[in-house]
Amino acid sequence: MSDFKALAEAVTKGDIKTAVAETQKALDSGSNVQDILDNGLIATMDEVGERFSKGLIFVPQMLRSARTMQECMKLLQPLFQESDVTSKGKVLIGTVKGDLHDIGKNLVSMMMEGAGFTITDLGVDVAPEKFVQKVQEVEPDIVGMSALLSTTMPSMPLTIEALQKAEIRDKVKIMIGGAPVTEKYAQEIKADSYASDAGSAVTKAKELLGIRG
Amino acid sequence: MKPLDIPTFQPRLKVLNREQALVIHAAALEILEKTGFKMEHSGALEMLSDAGCRVSDGDWVRLPAYLAEEALSSAPRQIALYDQQGNKTMPLRDGNSFYGTGSDATFTLDMETGQRRRTVLRDAANFARLVDGLENIAFAMSMANPEDVPVEDIYVRVFAEMIRNTNKPMVFIADSGKDIARIYEIACLVAGGEAEFQRKPFILNYSEPISPLRFPANVVEKLIFCAEKKIPICFPSGTNAGGGAPVTLAGAMALGIAENLVGLVVHQLAGKGSPFLFGPNVSVLDMKSTVVSYGCPEWSLTQAALADMRDEIYGLPTWAYAGASDAKVMDAQAGAEAMFSIVTAMLSRSNLIHDVAFLEFGSTSSLEMLTMANELIAMSRFFTTGIPVNEETLALEAIERVAGGGPGSMFLMDDHTFEHFEQAQFLPKLLDRSRYDSWEEAGAMDLYKRCNIEAKRILAEHQVAPKSEEVLHEIERILQG
Repeated sequence: MSDFKALAEAVTKGDIKTAVAETQKALDSGSNVQDILDNGLIATMDEVGERFSKGLIFVPQMLRSARTMQECMKLLQPLFQESDVTSKGKVLIGTVKGDLHDIGKNLVSMMMEGAGFTITDLGVDVAPEKFVQKVQEVEPDIVGMSALLSTTMPSMPLTIEALQKAEIRDKVKIMIGGAPVTEKYAQEIKADSYASDAGSAVTKAKELLGIRG
Repeated sequence: MKPLDIPTFQPRLKVLNREQALVIHAAALEILEKTGFKMEHSGALEMLSDAGCRVSDGDWVRLPAYLAEEALSSAPRQIALYDQQGNKTMPLRDGNSFYGTGSDATFTLDMETGQRRRTVLRDAANFARLVDGLENIAFAMSMANPEDVPVEDIYVRVFAEMIRNTNKPMVFIADSGKDIARIYEIACLVAGGEAEFQRKPFILNYSEPISPLRFPANVVEKLIFCAEKKIPICFPSGTNAGGGAPVTLAGAMALGIAENLVGLVVHQLAGKGSPFLFGPNVSVLDMKSTVVSYGCPEWSLTQAALADMRDEIYGLPTWAYAGASDAKVMDAQAGAEAMFSIVTAMLSRSNLIHDVAFLEFGSTSSLEMLTMANELIAMSRFFTTGIPVNEETLALEAIERVAGGGPGSMFLMDDHTFEHFEQAQFLPKLLDRSRYDSWEEAGAMDLYKRCNIEAKRILAEHQVAPKSEEVLHEIERILQG
């Protein structure tokens, strides 16, 4: 395992320029892509996430670190296939039909990506049929749905129903969130998990897929 | 001797100077001209285009400043809201401030158990009834997004429930053009007809576009409906600093005002001269929890700034918030945050002030909190009234009587005290000033407990003048239909 101290420091600080240079340096010196990803980037983001959960840093700082990681990932991504890199899991995410509010969903995407998940973001106002189509296409491990309004919440069970009809409900874990959403509601509509904020979404996603740490 | 006749100075908070106000206004206009906005309602898009806006990419609109200025000059400078019995109880103009509750809380603190639970229809009834019985709460919002009602009927059912439980003015939510039409039908029934309603409107709609600069079709549908029917409306987007808007307050205000002006332009095009309550919601997105704060000083600051802009530029009555908190229970934090926003909203002369009695940044409502706020508003009103200075209040004669009156002479015994104490002093009902022993004897209750008892008392004793059988019957018919 290589030493990623300088890379880790740059990601923690959100210093994009240095982090990208360090990633390039690691690649040039022959470090393994999976090693850079796991022990350089994801391990650092885990720590950043931990510091955020403890209230030691603020959201913009955490997001800047996540963005820094994304920039580094751009160097790694072209090498993924040839070196058979594995991600923590694939997540398909969107706000449900009728709902155009996406700040919360965007936060969840950023944090999950930082934790090593591969995100496919379907954006806002995503119809059940669109979820179905994309699940078939992307074959995600997790489907994340968000709703800010109580009036759009019913799109969640409708989406789950559509997945059932397409006989792909059991192939994915379903997570839901949003201001009016509760644990109880998640149980009622038979979602697999509910997260109250972006930080706990990462924890819950790891639990769902049996990933430790 | 000629009696002293000195006008009483009433404390007034100002947070912007004229230059600052003009620059923020100019920035808002620049956003509309240069950046533009996304208008997803086809009718509004056509109106804007016909009026002189440039439309590109299908629904992206750039709006020339003169349209905003025209809309500002055609919207009425005052909005009078009536109660449901036809009395003008809320003249929204000048420095008048009126407080009321908020909408759509997901949870409420149960009055019996003290526990946080999902709201039900019955909660909307209780809040409306309590509002009706509290002298300083001028209007009602639902305070509940009930789980025991079919989602598509929530806003109509909640509205009907409130109509049954209060006669005060109401600020209401609707989902789209469909349910707002049913709500309007109920309102006209209560007023005794459409003409009567429009002469003495007792409801105001709350609709909000999405920041930054997005105007969904269902939201604009309600805006146009209200403009056509002359139902007063406010159209505040959530330009919360760091969330829907830039993190710096000046930019967040400029964006929020820009979005409000879009609403106003469409509104005035659809119904020239219809009443529009001005102002965005500019709170902050908390940088740790990412919730929109309801207890922060920033929101109070931006709405005070908006009141200054009203006086310098807009001249339209303003939309504001107060009496809410981010605390999860009605604790010291809740009291501190509620009082901070209540007193500053009044000192800055915000007009229609909602969200009183929200906990947990608007997710939880509390009847006890509302009961407490009623007293905090009275306290603020007393402070904002200032110190009347005249012969009677200078009381030189009383001073001479008591000081020269020999042993046993005291102000407490003097007629001047007897005649004036009820106006001269703020006399709290729930804030406790008793001596320790009496407080202990009375059960050593904290403010939450005392508010709980008072709220229960009002709910048990307060009589809401009922609507006629005929009206109730017709409402039921509308609900079934």
